[in-house]
Amino acid sequence: MAQLPLEGVRVADITVVWAGPHVTQLLAEWGAEIIRVEPVNRIQPSSRGGEQRMTKEQAEAAAASGGVVPAWPDYDPGDEPWNRSAAFNSHSRNKKSMACDIMSPEGREAFLKLIEVCDVFVENNVPETIEKANITWEELKEVNPRLIMLRMPAFGLSGPYKNYRGFGTHVEGMIGHHYLRGYQDAGPEYTGDAFTADAMAGVQGALAATMALRHRERTGEGQLIEMALAEGFLPVLGEFILDYSMNDRITEPQANTHPSHAPHNVYPTEGDDQWIAIDIATDEQFVALCDTLAVPQLASDERFATATARHEHRDALDAELAAVTAPLDKEDLFHTLQAAGVTAAPTHNELEALADQHLNDRNFYKEATIEGVGTHRYPGMIFQMDNTPNDIRTPPPKLGEHNEYVYLDLLGYSREQYDALVAKGLVGTTYPPEVLGG
Amino acid sequence: MAGPLEGIQVLDLTRNVAGPYATKLMADYGADVLKVEPPGGDPSREAGPFPGDEPHPEKSALFLHLNTNKRSITLDPSTADGQALVTQLAARSDVVLEDFAPGQAAQWGIGWEQLSADREDLVMASITPFGQSGPYRDYLGSEITLEAMGGPMLNTGHGEKQPLKLGGSTAHYHAGATAAFAIMTTRLRVEMGGEGDHIDLSVFECQAGFRDRRTIFVTGASYTGDARPRPIAGTRLGSGVRPCLDGYVNLLAGRRIDEFLALIEKPELKADLPDVPPNQMPPEIVEMLEAEYLMWLLQRPKTEIIARAQELHILSGAILTVEDLVTDEHYGGRDVWDEIDHPVAGTFTYPGRPMVMSASPRPKPEAAPLLGEHNEEVFVGELGIESAELERLRSQGVV
Repeated sequence: MAQLPLEGVRVADITVVWAGPHVTQLLAEWGAEIIRVEPVNRIQPSSRGGEQRMTKEQAEAAAASGGVVPAWPDYDPGDEPWNRSAAFNSHSRNKKSMACDIMSPEGREAFLKLIEVCDVFVENNVPETIEKANITWEELKEVNPRLIMLRMPAFGLSGPYKNYRGFGTHVEGMIGHHYLRGYQDAGPEYTGDAFTADAMAGVQGALAATMALRHRERTGEGQLIEMALAEGFLPVLGEFILDYSMNDRITEPQANTHPSHAPHNVYPTEGDDQWIAIDIATDEQFVALCDTLAVPQLASDERFATATARHEHRDALDAELAAVTAPLDKEDLFHTLQAAGVTAAPTHNELEALADQHLNDRNFYKEATIEGVGTHRYPGMIFQMDNTPNDIRTPPPKLGEHNEYVYLDLLGYSREQYDALVAKGLVGTTYPPEVLGG
Repeated sequence: MAGPLEGIQVLDLTRNVAGPYATKLMADYGADVLKVEPPGGDPSREAGPFPGDEPHPEKSALFLHLNTNKRSITLDPSTADGQALVTQLAARSDVVLEDFAPGQAAQWGIGWEQLSADREDLVMASITPFGQSGPYRDYLGSEITLEAMGGPMLNTGHGEKQPLKLGGSTAHYHAGATAAFAIMTTRLRVEMGGEGDHIDLSVFECQAGFRDRRTIFVTGASYTGDARPRPIAGTRLGSGVRPCLDGYVNLLAGRRIDEFLALIEKPELKADLPDVPPNQMPPEIVEMLEAEYLMWLLQRPKTEIIARAQELHILSGAILTVEDLVTDEHYGGRDVWDEIDHPVAGTFTYPGRPMVMSASPRPKPEAAPLLGEHNEEVFVGELGIESAELERLRSQGVV
């Protein structure tokens, strides 16, 4: 059994929201030591949800009415809601937390000491944030010439959109993905949010770090990597961008259609908001589908006789199939269709995902215990290796949990220096009352 | 410039999107990727779109995009001769990728156990819908079905309409990028003196841990015992997609009421508002503010609206079409597009680099290979097969 591949790599982490934290999640899972640099004298927005102001009763009521709520365990914010955020704790296992505000002179000094002993630094703030802290690549590479700095702004470190702010949903609008995935019978107001650029940037950021580590092993030199969320997503749109170049064609909203397959959609099944996705690529599969659903007349209908004909008449075909699937159980149908060689799967909500027999058989979910928060199951690693066993090594860190380890052991601060930072309110494990407000 | 992955030999038996995107990332950054196509070619050669909508195996946009900087050889891995060639090629490779049904490669004698028998440094990735084990192992999967069961599809779209998939082949691109990361981390371990490994990557698990909502919402369900509904889009004050003069914009404006009123140039309305957070405003107030907002939006073009919203630090973006994107001066000015000339298909604009590496920039982009373009070069030049033997393999349909 082999050791985790990134063991010995240390990463400084000033990431927020979804994309940057996913980079360090992946690096941590495969062995790197991650040190999150987090202020305790002010609340870092879009990170631990420290800015959330809701009682348990308000959160429960909002959840019951379908609103957006912080999913604290049992909806209870507790005394330290920032240690109970589902969004934060979903990515932060195996990471360490250091209280440090880079906007303060003391914090900036500690951060530069940290950079001396790190291999990689990841940040995904609006470019001007790091600039306001007077932290530049030019200075960091003097501090540590072997450093790899990965910057992940929304739109890039140059150009008119350089300091544009956005979540994944705003980025996907600005790269054409929102338009592309819309409904065909309703405008973009109905499409809703997706944050897919975060997911792509997360894995590609981790890939970039490993490529730069390889370059450093061969040459000794570190480097600056710039991966804008918008640009990391452009390859996903490759065939549509080429279609525009080839044919001057603007791809119209695709919804659940496929360029050649039909049927290719979700079909209602028994119950509220229950669906089965079906994707038919061949005539054989279409016949198998019609046999399984006991509608042989569809297989012999000339509108549906060939792949081309099915694609042309796909709306009529969808309506026929929806009427047939509506009373059926989606799980039974899933296994019956698969047994007949048809590509199909039910929609699964989050609770069905947690109960999924395949994911559980493959030990996808991992358990972790956070003191005072509880023991819960978390989505695990997104790939496995035969000879490199992997599990959650340490639970999601509480705010400032590793202050003493980082300042005293790693950075060599004396106890007196450390206590002075605590006295100034720059190091700690909670936010002061004036920051938390009423 | 040779790129950060210079010197890494990759043997790629994968087809369609996921595996080829993994090896495109590696090839674009300097690895030597040998693409093994079945004699009829990678199915993505039939996918299109095509110039003038005329199908041609050398002109499919999907194939041209996903296979830049690779070499192509043809062989049939279901034949004994083909399997012997794969074994020979794998022995000269650092990395092997395959995406056959679970167990198929092993049955052909080209699985992980066989190819890694005499060496500890091989990195091999198997990419499948559901992985190499588990009750769904032999089930079929595709973009829409894997998104439906694995990912956040039930949360995507409008609460009163059907769930929506993501655009194109997003789940498979994501799985491909994940495979590239898995391969490169393991290869890094090998180059540091450690051992290789067999990576078992399933698109389903990539969706189950997808950082577009799924992993966050599943953790939330684990914390609360509740699943998330599909939202009714655009019902929060000043938030979501709205029409404007020349299209649509998406702003997260309503939760900061002062900035919102500054945006729509109605600061005086502040005096009429109750002193409650924006999400607790009475419906008639929300309706009045939305009407003012819409009137302001409908008089202005999307880029101007976003520029103004960004000045006010309001998170926002326009809804661009592919034409808006390709002609946008921000992207053009950052040199994100590649003009690539292909000897049969012609010269087109491709999406270029996903990232910029200051010390190890990517090499110059080269067009995707013709089907079997490198057969002579590889089989005769590199494996030392006699021309007569290659002719025999050709006539028997192996190559």
